Amino acid sequence: MTDLIFHLLEVSFWSGIAAVGFGILFNVPRKTIFTIFALGFLAGLIKFSILQFEHHIALASLAAASFVGWVSIPIAHKIHHPPVVFSIPTMIPMIPGYFAYETILSIMNFVFIETDPEKRLLLIDAMFSHGFKMIYVLIGLTFGVALPLLVMNKGSIKQLGGAPS
Amino acid sequence: MSDSEKFTKTADLLLEIGSLLMISGANTSRINRSIDRFSSALNFSVHSWIHQKTIIMTLTDNDTKMSATKVYNLPPHAINFKTISEISKASWKAIREGWTIDQIATEIERIKSLDRYSNLVVLIAVSFAVAGFCKIFNGDYLNMTVAFISAFMGLFVSQQIHKKHYNIYIRIFLASLTASLVASVGIIYNIGTNPQTALATSILFLIPGVPLINSFTDLLENNILNGLARFAVGAMIVLAIATGLFLAMYIFSINLS
Repeated sequence: MTDLIFHLLEVSFWSGIAAVGFGILFNVPRKTIFTIFALGFLAGLIKFSILQFEHHIALASLAAASFVGWVSIPIAHKIHHPPVVFSIPTMIPMIPGYFAYETILSIMNFVFIETDPEKRLLLIDAMFSHGFKMIYVLIGLTFGVALPLLVMNKGSIKQLGGAPS
Repeated sequence: MSDSEKFTKTADLLLEIGSLLMISGANTSRINRSIDRFSSALNFSVHSWIHQKTIIMTLTDNDTKMSATKVYNLPPHAINFKTISEISKASWKAIREGWTIDQIATEIERIKSLDRYSNLVVLIAVSFAVAGFCKIFNGDYLNMTVAFISAFMGLFVSQQIHKKHYNIYIRIFLASLTASLVASVGIIYNIGTNPQTALATSILFLIPGVPLINSFTDLLENNILNGLARFAVGAMIVLAIATGLFLAMYIFSINLS
């Protein structure tokens, strides 16, 4: 049990680092870097904990992204930056990049390399499962982070509570 | 200022704001909202068609009801969240404090001159991010070192090619090829417990996260054309990444799965 918790914390810590790395690539304002790390860490913790209970990765991503969406509201009012600036870098470690290129790799193996019919069937299976997993995870992420605005029926987080900044 | 001068100046400014937001990686509804805020501060109403490479905009003066239409071609995209944040803040200030067109133009000039992180800082930060990815996919610390070095080399190649203004997909293909060739060395010498993980994660820094997230955000908000265009850009980038990785695996006869 302690091992498991330690492992979750370690993996979440590195998710936070990954989020910050992408934040710097996207040239985020310096003031938001700590926020991005903290959100990346917490989102990672939620995602990996849910995966630990063997739920689907799209569900785990939805949960983590909607967490980011909800806490973005008070944070955006507090640090005076629009939520995309810290919510998108936070979600980058959760982007299904692995599924994305694995889909293409399966297609390329299918077209250029594999001749054995049995293995070609496995490759078709891989194309579909990886490809659609990628799409569902992306839907989970974008829907999750947009959830507060959709529920409150508003276009901008600035219109949601808090003193005007 | 004559009417036509006023129209030209306002249209150019609003088009520049829209263009800055688009190339910096804002989603379509955010661009529309920002333009609306600035235009309402200037007492204009604006309708626009925003796309990856073009913005078409019709401005109507709220007092005289005269209108003008302009088309604007966008420069290449370069994600920059500082620009998005600063323009968003400026748009609220412009409404609240009733900024004039000159005040807005000065602010936009200031935003355009804001600095980016240096290439070295970006190299190190992104390489750490890739090492983090390697950890997430069950790599040990040796694998993470391999992933770090591969990403560093890959991004370095990408930055150098970027300076020469090559086609974006060629740049991403070459970056992916470099990173996966370096990571393949880890598989050949069997470095760490999971050398395949280092190869599979070494290219994740190229993943088109912003186009893909914005794509689905746009689709969700019914900006279907922009959503599809962004998804196509994302798919092209993934294709370039996978081609680089495939070539490296082919050269070293590696089978990932």
